[in-house]
Amino acid sequence: MTADQYLLEIKNLAITYHAVQPPVKAVDGVSLQLRKGESLGIIGESGCGKSTLALGIMGLIRQGIVEGEIIYKGQNLVGLPEKRLRNYRWKDMAMVFQNSLEVLNPVLSVGEQVGEPLRAHYHLSPMEIDQKVVKLLEMLGLEPEWRHYYPHQLSGGMRQRVLLAMALSCDPELLIVDEPTTSLDPASKNEVLQLLQKLQKKLGFAMILISHDLGAVKKLTTRAMTLYCGRVVEMGITSEVLKNPMHCYTRGLLNSSPNFFRYKDLWGIGGEPPMGGSIAGCAFYPRCCQGEESCSQTRPPLRYVALERMVACHRGGIETFLRAEGMRKKYILKNKEIEAVKGVSLEIKSGEVVALVGESGSGKSTLAHILAGVLPAGAGQVFFKNKKVEGRWATKMLGGMQIIFQDPLSATSHRLKVLEVVREPLDIIKWGSKEEREKEAIKALQKVQLPVSPEFLNRYCYALSGGQRQRLAIARALVTKPKLLIADEVTSMLDPSTQANLLRELKGLQNRHGFAMLYITHDLHLARKIADKVYVMYRGEIVESGVSFEIFENPEHVYTKRLLREAFRDLV
Amino acid sequence: MGRVPELLVKIGEWVKEFSLPGKAGLVVILVVLLVAVLAPYIAVHPHHTSSGPPLSPPGGKHPLGTDELGIDLWAQICYGARVSLLVGLGTALLAGLGGGLIGIVSGYLGGWPDKVLMRLIDIMIVLPDLPVMIVLAAFFGPSLLNIIFVLALFSWVFPARIVRSQILMLKERSYIKSAETYGAGVWYLMWKHLLPEVFPLVAVNMIRLSGRAIVAEAGLSFLGLGDPTSKSWGLIIHHATNFKGIYYTDFWKWWLLYPWLALMIMVISLAFISRELERMVDPRMGR
Repeated sequence: MTADQYLLEIKNLAITYHAVQPPVKAVDGVSLQLRKGESLGIIGESGCGKSTLALGIMGLIRQGIVEGEIIYKGQNLVGLPEKRLRNYRWKDMAMVFQNSLEVLNPVLSVGEQVGEPLRAHYHLSPMEIDQKVVKLLEMLGLEPEWRHYYPHQLSGGMRQRVLLAMALSCDPELLIVDEPTTSLDPASKNEVLQLLQKLQKKLGFAMILISHDLGAVKKLTTRAMTLYCGRVVEMGITSEVLKNPMHCYTRGLLNSSPNFFRYKDLWGIGGEPPMGGSIAGCAFYPRCCQGEESCSQTRPPLRYVALERMVACHRGGIETFLRAEGMRKKYILKNKEIEAVKGVSLEIKSGEVVALVGESGSGKSTLAHILAGVLPAGAGQVFFKNKKVEGRWATKMLGGMQIIFQDPLSATSHRLKVLEVVREPLDIIKWGSKEEREKEAIKALQKVQLPVSPEFLNRYCYALSGGQRQRLAIARALVTKPKLLIADEVTSMLDPSTQANLLRELKGLQNRHGFAMLYITHDLHLARKIADKVYVMYRGEIVESGVSFEIFENPEHVYTKRLLREAFRDLV
Repeated sequence: MGRVPELLVKIGEWVKEFSLPGKAGLVVILVVLLVAVLAPYIAVHPHHTSSGPPLSPPGGKHPLGTDELGIDLWAQICYGARVSLLVGLGTALLAGLGGGLIGIVSGYLGGWPDKVLMRLIDIMIVLPDLPVMIVLAAFFGPSLLNIIFVLALFSWVFPARIVRSQILMLKERSYIKSAETYGAGVWYLMWKHLLPEVFPLVAVNMIRLSGRAIVAEAGLSFLGLGDPTSKSWGLIIHHATNFKGIYYTDFWKWWLLYPWLALMIMVISLAFISRELERMVDPRMGR
C-alpha cells in the first residue's frame, strides 16, 4: 500500500511550546496514518498532548515549533503559509473544538457562526447560506429557529451540535473531534455519540476522536491510539486495545474507567506525568509498575507486539508472568481414573488479578497445585516470565511465584512460633541476616493486619484462630515479595472487614508494583469485585474466559450463566 | 538456655497427667536408675567375688542371700541393673533413632527406596527373631556391645513403620508443601519439621523397645549367650537354672526369684510408662 492512499499521514511530528521555560514538548515524535472513512481514537490523560496534536494537524499552533511531516492527500502541510493552510481548513479537514462557551463567539448568533466557514470557502449568497445552515441544523437534530439565538442561550448539548454543524458545514473529509462529550449529561452524551456515528456513516468522513472517555472511543472508532507525554505508547484495533491492553499506561486508563469495571474499585495511575521537557528514556517509566532501571535510559520504539498492535515498551508491553499450556492431571484411584484437569491453558499478566471460579471439585485447586509445581502435571508446560518452570526455581526466589494453600490450619505448623513461620521462606533461601529477615517478616505481618508485638511474635501457631493462621500463611507468602501469587480460597476464613483490608492491600500492590494474582474462589461477589480477568472452570476444563466485565455482564457458556444466576440470585 | 527449665516444666506437666500405674512405673524406673548409678555404694558386698557362705538364704549379712559361689545376690542385682539399663537404653536409642531415620527417608522419598525398605521390614517382621538372634549372638561372640547391636537389628522395624506412616501423613500437610516450594531440602525438612513432629512417637516406641530389649537380653543371657563378664539379671537366672537340682531345694526361692522379680518389675514399669505416653501422644486422644 503506497502512502498516497492515506488520507492523512503524520510522520514524526513534534510540537514544542517555547512560550514557557523550559520549553514543553507537547507532541514528541508521533506518527500515524489514516485512510478515507476510517476512525481513530486518541486516548490519554489530560495534558498528554491530545489536543495539541489535533491543533497541530489543523495548523493552528501559534506559539510553538512544529517539526515533522503532516501529509494530507500527498501534500505536506507543515511549513505551508497560512493562506494556503486556510484552504484546507474547514473544507478538507475540520475540527470540533472542546465544548465550552469560549469556543463560540458570544456576540454572533448561532446561524452566523455556522455559516461563517461557508462564507469563507464558497461564494454563496446569504440566502443560500441560510438555507444550508437550516439544513445543517436539521441534520444535527436542532430546530432551525435556534440559529437566531446566541450561544449562551443554548444548552451544552445544543452547543455541541452547533460546533458539529460548523465543522461539517463544508463537508470535510477529515473531522477531528476533541472531547465531544465532556460536561454533557448521559442522555445528551449518548445523543451526540449516536449522531456522530450516524453522520460518519452517512457522510463518510474520516474521524479522529480525542477523548478520555473510553466508552466514546469504544463506540465510535475502529482504531485507537494511546498518547502519553506526547508519545504514542500503544496503537491497535479499538476493541482489542480496550479489552486486552498491552501497555501498562493503557491498562491504567482502563482501570480508572468506571464504564468498563462496574463493580470494581477505581484505581488511578500512581504518580503524575513529568513536566514538559524531553525525556531520554521511557516517559512512563517513573509510573510504570514493571519498569526496570534500563527503561530510563533509551526511548522505547513503537513496535509490533501482536497482529495490528504496536506498543512502545522496552519490555514488550505488559509482561506475561505465567503461561500454562495444555495442563492435564489424572488421579488414579482404586479401579477409577479421575481426570481432574483436562487440558487447561491460561495466562496471567503482570498487574492482573485473575479469578478462577467454578464449583467445588471442578479441579481448581489441582490446577493451582500443578501450576505452582506442588503436584507433578500429567501433561503440559508452565512458563514463568517466559522461562519454563522446572523444579522449584520460580517459587524459591524473591519476586517469584508463591502459592497459598486452601486449608489455613495445615498451612502453618502448629509447633512453630509466629515469627518462625513468617521467616521460614527467607531462612530457607538464606536471604540476608537474621535481623533483616525478622524485619521483613514483621513488615509482612503488618500487611496482613496481624499484631507485631513481641508476645504475638513468640506465640505458637496452635494458639491462633483460623483467621489468624490464614493471614499468617498469606504473610509468609508475601515475605518473599512475590510477583505472582496463587491464592487458593485464601480469604475463606476471614471476617469481611479483614478480608476487605487484605484484598485492598493486595490490589494496592497490584497497582503499584505490578503484582499479579491467580485468585481461586467460589465467592463470585468477591471475584466480580477484584478480578480483571476471569476463568470459569467446570469439570476440569476452562469453559469460558475473558475480561471480567464481559464475563460477568454477558456470560456465554451455559455453565457460567447458571453459576452467575445461582450466585447473584438473592441479590438482584 | 531457657529451654532446659521449659522442658522440665513440660515434663512435670506430663507426669501430672499420668495415671497411678504410670506414676508408679516412673518411680520404679527412677529407683532402678538410682540403684544402677549408685551400685558401688548400695551393694555393700562385691558382685563378682565371694563374700559369704554359698547358697545362704536371705537375711542377716546378705539381704537377698548368696549364690553357689557365695556371691551376694543383692550386689549382683544392683550391678545387673546397670547392664539391663544399658542394654535397654542402648538398643532403644540405636533402634529408635536408626529406625526413625529410615522411616523418615522411606516415607518422605517414597518410590523405590520406600519399596525396598518396606519389603525389608516385612522380612524382618516375619523372621523368628529369637533363633536368628541366638545365631547372631553366637556368631559375633558374647559381648555387651554385640548384644545391643543384634537387638537393635531386630528392633528398628517398629519405629521405622510408625514413623513412615506419620511422615506419609505429614507430607501432605500444606506447610510442608509450602516449605518445599520455597526450595527447602530434605535435610531442612527433616530437622525443622519432620523429626520434631515424629519425635514424641519415637520416644514412646523407644521406651517400649527398651523393655523388650531388656527381656531379650535376659533371654540370651539365660541361654548362655550373654556376656559372661557382665553379670546381668538374665545371667543370674542362667546360673541358677544351670545349678543341678535347684528345684529340689529351696535355693530357687531367692536365687531365681529375686532377679526374675527385678526383671518383671522393671519391664512392667516400662510398659506402664509407655502406655501412658502413648495415650498422651496419640493424636486421636487429643493433644
